[in-house]
Amino acid sequence: MYIKIKNKHIELIKSANPYLIFATIFAFVIGLYYSLFQSPPDYIQGDSMRIMYIHVPSAWFALMTYSILAGSCVLWFITRNPLFNVVARSIAQVGMVFTLMSLITGSIWGKPTWGVWWVWDARLTSMLILFFLYIAYIFLWQAISNKELASKISAALAIIGFINIPIIKFSVDWWNTLHQPASISKLSAPSIDVSMLIPLFIMTGACFLFLVTVSLIRFRLVLIENKMLRTSSL
Amino acid sequence: MNELKTENLSCKRGENAVLNNVNFSIKSGETLVVKGRNGSGKTTLLRILSNFITSYEGKVMFNGISISEDSLYNSKFNLIGQKNSLKENLSIKKNFDLWDILFNEALDHVKLLKHNNLYHLINRDVGSLSDGQKKCISLHRLNYKKYELWFLDEPFVYLDEVNTHLLIEKINQFNENMGIVILTSNINLPKNFHKEINI
Amino acid sequence: MPNLIKRDLLLSFYSSANFFFTVSFFILVLILIPFAFGTQTDQLKNLFKGVVWIALALSIIITVDRIYNTDYEDGNLDIIMQKNKTIEYLIISKYITHWFIYCLPLLVILPVLSFLFYLDYLETVQIFINLFIGSFGMVFIANFVSALTLGARRTIFLKAIIMIPLFVPFIIFGSDAGSWPILLALSMLSFVISIYVTAYGLRLYGE
Repeated sequence: MYIKIKNKHIELIKSANPYLIFATIFAFVIGLYYSLFQSPPDYIQGDSMRIMYIHVPSAWFALMTYSILAGSCVLWFITRNPLFNVVARSIAQVGMVFTLMSLITGSIWGKPTWGVWWVWDARLTSMLILFFLYIAYIFLWQAISNKELASKISAALAIIGFINIPIIKFSVDWWNTLHQPASISKLSAPSIDVSMLIPLFIMTGACFLFLVTVSLIRFRLVLIENKMLRTSSL
Repeated sequence: MNELKTENLSCKRGENAVLNNVNFSIKSGETLVVKGRNGSGKTTLLRILSNFITSYEGKVMFNGISISEDSLYNSKFNLIGQKNSLKENLSIKKNFDLWDILFNEALDHVKLLKHNNLYHLINRDVGSLSDGQKKCISLHRLNYKKYELWFLDEPFVYLDEVNTHLLIEKINQFNENMGIVILTSNINLPKNFHKEINI
Repeated sequence: MPNLIKRDLLLSFYSSANFFFTVSFFILVLILIPFAFGTQTDQLKNLFKGVVWIALALSIIITVDRIYNTDYEDGNLDIIMQKNKTIEYLIISKYITHWFIYCLPLLVILPVLSFLFYLDYLETVQIFINLFIGSFGMVFIANFVSALTLGARRTIFLKAIIMIPLFVPFIIFGSDAGSWPILLALSMLSFVISIYVTAYGLRLYGE
């Protein structure tokens, strides 16, 4: 059982890096231009809602990254293909950054909107817990010195965390709810204006590019690291 | 008459092959000394033989039955690993009490310790003993009787000359009672041990 | 299985300090309430209902190293796993002893403490039932975290970071009087998950 990735694939990823980095920066510049200058201010919240253009995509990707992480851990256990483990390990850090980003921007947005930096409702709380799940996954891997064992153990933990998040969301929901209802999930009848959707989608694309770029860099590093672990053990 | 046998035993840890085609056969009353460089898989071999590692290639048979399928096999061997299995903050006597329950057998520890000249230490905390004394106490587990196989991982480390002789004597005695011993060691042992393999 | 329970009980009896430390720790955490929040009767009562869960969670967190880690580090876990071929029996024995040694004393001391915090009879019974059911679920979680982190030595903070998010649902429902059926469901769910994950962890580290 070995990773069927040859040096030329790693080289290919390496050579694609500059283009991806450029595309990410470009997408962010365009996205920020649209969201700051080309979209109207919200007629209730004013200019403060512009932070939504960074908050919403990072919250989406925080959740999506964790789903990919847990999904690839499950696939790793089923198929025993170590590539899934490499995928999980490469995206964990990016996911943590997205979660932190959505928490910080959410707070900044919350201050003018609700008058407080933080509200103890289901979505915010489970996001905070998600952040600690990322931390637990990353640091448990580092704490165990046998790296093959570490990958298996932290993968098991990631799956348990995936079960835990809906439970926490349900429990806090049951406890109290202050948050405004989800407005973007139903795209068929969007309750926000099209002029606001355009920058939101560009920013989502930019965040996606960011995710792909950083993950690929990490992917290459993890592969090289694995290779070094393999050769250095004798 | 018992027989423990491996056929083409290979084992990978991670990406590295640790054991490569290990073949041996050992019968009642014999001792096998496993030699090899550091990291060559001596401990791995003992952990395969004691059913802790189950992912390997090849066969390990006890009396013709694969050890992973023999439900009684686990109660037939006594594994002394490199760790001492002693609670550092408890006295030797209390440690023995805990072992007696785990091994489900009450030994006359006082008599056995007097034989080893360790009786005066019985109420000392294990943490205050020297490494050699700890090893002696740890090897005390070999006195539990109902076992047909002994797996000893580096049993001679830390032992002085007197205790090394006592242990060799004990192994010979066990062999006379038709016991099988597999031990790993890198020191040169007297030639009266039956078999030796290099891995 | 009975041998392992007997052995663990004897071990905790020999190192009895462990057991007194947990109970004292539990009481001391609760004693901090009036020091931190003042001594108004009504307020104390409500704070107690919540903080008692935090105290229980912390007590379980500080004992998590005693479940498998010490036996793993000194080599006794090998003997235990060899003698208990059916690993599920081993795990259930550990649940029983861990709960018996570290949670039962806290439950015994609870009525005295709730008396100190002016809870009436009915409230005490409600909180006792909740803690009784919830403590099992928390013990199940602590057991699998202990088994998963055997290779990560001296990392009590990491273990706490792993465990506290898993304790959150228990603490949310626990401080509500009538929600014991939900706690029961949570405990059962964590039992099912825990027994698989603990067995997985122990087998991995046995290798």
